[in-house]
Amino acid sequence: MHSFGYRANALLTFAVTLLALICAMSSLSDNLNSPSPSSHVKVLNINWFQKSTQGNDEVSMTMNISANLQSLFTWNTKQVFVFLAAEYETPKNSLNQVSLWDGIIPSKEHAKFWIHTTNKYRFTDQGSNLQGKEFNLTLHWHVMPKTGKMFADKIVMSGFSLPVEYR
Amino acid sequence: MDWQGQKLSEQLMQILLLAFAVVAFATGYVLGSFQTMLLIYAAGVVITTLITVPNWPFFNRNPLKWLDPSEAEKHPKPQISSNSSSKKKTSKK
Amino acid sequence: MQRSWCNSKKKKSTIERTMGLIGETTVVDSIKSIQFRQAFSQAVTLGIIVASALIIWKTLTCITGSQSPIVVVLSESMEPAFQRGDILFLHMSKDPIRVGEIVVFDVEGRDIPIVHRVIKVHERQDTGEVDVLTKGDHNRDDDRGLYAPGQLWIQQHHILGRAVGFLPYVGWVTIIMTEKPIIKYILIGALGLFVIISKD
Repeated sequence: MHSFGYRANALLTFAVTLLALICAMSSLSDNLNSPSPSSHVKVLNINWFQKSTQGNDEVSMTMNISANLQSLFTWNTKQVFVFLAAEYETPKNSLNQVSLWDGIIPSKEHAKFWIHTTNKYRFTDQGSNLQGKEFNLTLHWHVMPKTGKMFADKIVMSGFSLPVEYR
Repeated sequence: MDWQGQKLSEQLMQILLLAFAVVAFATGYVLGSFQTMLLIYAAGVVITTLITVPNWPFFNRNPLKWLDPSEAEKHPKPQISSNSSSKKKTSKK
Repeated sequence: MQRSWCNSKKKKSTIERTMGLIGETTVVDSIKSIQFRQAFSQAVTLGIIVASALIIWKTLTCITGSQSPIVVVLSESMEPAFQRGDILFLHMSKDPIRVGEIVVFDVEGRDIPIVHRVIKVHERQDTGEVDVLTKGDHNRDDDRGLYAPGQLWIQQHHILGRAVGFLPYVGWVTIIMTEKPIIKYILIGALGLFVIISKD
């Protein structure tokens, strides 16, 4: 009964159980980390602003994004996915969230960045409500662990507005 | 492998693996490297396998002394059966 | 300790002796009944294994509220976040879908659900319904090309759940089994054989 195969099987079972346990513990250890990220976004220019043929307002703008997300990285972090979204309310929709730019940060060294960019994704409304619209720019991040639970959080920056006239 | 050896190998396996897991986690956490943790643990599993799975001579230090069958016939003991069956059960575990 | 080992051997020899005395027919009968019991207990064990797997799956379904609480990533469209063979744990809560979340959704005309990130959300003022647009991190364009023809948005009823945690590499077992069915049959055969021939 206590053969070679039996012992190998028992060892493998126990080893895998322990491996699962240490992975769970490393995932839990992420909770000890209290990050303090910072970010600043400036809208430099509205390149163009018009109504498309489908009747939806669309904007193109140039932004300056700087952020320091180094404190998000722990030993169990595979990457941080960071993106900037415009958030606003319209008579039809209680919440509109439109991603404008995103990026993948593979390591802590790259987590302090500064970028000058136009919006990577189209800033299009459902309808024609963007004239003179006030909106928030929110920097979201999703922390991808090597194993375990994913974390997400955001910084809201308010006080942005679009021009009243199409251009 | 004899009975004592089986017990020894099982305990060795559990203690070694647990020790390696603790060491791996601590090292990984302190160095902040997930990869180091996995490498240490993998090495630990390999070492433990080499120590406890093959039938090493030191697991056979308490060989069974079987009674000669002709000897056993001379001393029939009816109450033994319950005793031995319970023993068998615990040894299997 | 040692004494008792000797005793067990003694017991064995006495049993052999009594069997021989009682006669051939009873011996055959007793062997038959042992075989039946063994086969029966093996069948029960097999049943327990299957049933417990089902119980775990159904319990997870109840807890997470998602039809399939665990999915395996099959494509490279979410790299480097998720690679082929990673396992995702899904959760289906009442919370509304928000931008940035990784959701698993069904598209009409596709058998396999897609795991992608939400990049646009429009939530209705009156009904609270959401229109969602998704995109794979690794893809250049958004998913409108993957949706059913003419479909512009994903709605709540398409969504199977959102990813809350993941485990790398474990899903390779499933991928290998679906792509090389021979291995699956060999494995099942070996397991069955093992169950049948193992005595304990």
